[in-house]
Amino acid sequence: MTFRWWRLVAIVTVGLGLGLAWNAWSGRGLALGSNAFVRPGEALEEIEVAEARARLERGALFLDARGIDYYAMGHIPGALPLPEDDFDGAFAKLEATLRKRFDIVVYCSGYGCEASHIVARKLRERGIAAAILREGWPAWTDAGYPVKEGEQP
Amino acid sequence: MTWLRRPSVQWALGAALGAVFIYASWDKIAEPREFARIVYHYQLAGPSQALGYLPANLLAVTLPWLELVTGALLVVGLWRREAAAVAGLMLVSFIVAVSWALASGIDIANCGCFTVGGSAEGRALGWKLLAGDLALLAVAAFLAAVPPTRTPAAASAGAVAGPSGMAPAQSEPGAPQGVSGEGRELVPDRVVDPAR
Repeated sequence: MTFRWWRLVAIVTVGLGLGLAWNAWSGRGLALGSNAFVRPGEALEEIEVAEARARLERGALFLDARGIDYYAMGHIPGALPLPEDDFDGAFAKLEATLRKRFDIVVYCSGYGCEASHIVARKLRERGIAAAILREGWPAWTDAGYPVKEGEQP
Repeated sequence: MTWLRRPSVQWALGAALGAVFIYASWDKIAEPREFARIVYHYQLAGPSQALGYLPANLLAVTLPWLELVTGALLVVGLWRREAAAVAGLMLVSFIVAVSWALASGIDIANCGCFTVGGSAEGRALGWKLLAGDLALLAVAAFLAAVPPTRTPAAASAGAVAGPSGMAPAQSEPGAPQGVSGEGRELVPDRVVDPAR
């Protein structure tokens, strides 16, 4: 049983090929350029950081979907904490405020973070529309936009 | 430790390793979108501003099939050394990904190892997971590095079939018989491989 490198290459090639074929033709695949956090047919609005800044200046309400400790370490000025891991408790406190607002933006800690999508989805199920800041908190700080520390909005 | 080189032992080790990989591939193949979400959580292949969603999505749709193909070859015992090497490379990448996530404090409730459903059913990242991956890696590395002892039957079958294209003909005359073939068969590898 001599080790043959071409077999190793063949295994990898066949695996990748089958994966792409299954994705294309099985009906279970995902569009390769799309965001898997957004379910098919789901109309979640995602906005870029510059658009978020503009909405903040127009008086949009921001919601921080990260854990409460992260909120205290730094958040977008005026944002209210609505952590995904304590959604029901936090939503009960904020519901009256949220139902009066029509321009809401949710964010969490960036591309790998799903909390903003989950919170926006739950709000939508309760009849409240909210946009998602696509790149989240890191994009906001990278852009040099203002931040606020502490537990107060 | 020569018993580890017996064909039956090697087949059993390969089949066990292969079964783990086939089992691991199943849920991800059925639910590629759910697996893609887990890949995002690792933040290693994106998505990011620079990379977009493509690399993470490609990884999510191809990795499970690579696991399945590799697992099937290991179970069948075909191309065992090469399949074990691919399994080993995958395990190394899993170990790197889990270590990186642990080191950078990324909280991943479901590692995406075997199931991709809600965070309630998956395994969380942790040292146990790393230990399991390292144990599998040891098996894969052994199977890739150490070929089984040739039985006289297998040796004569090999002589009939001949080297399949890549090995030079001069490696063949020395190969045929039992225990002496065991020592010699590693030699052609070392002679041939660096040339490629």
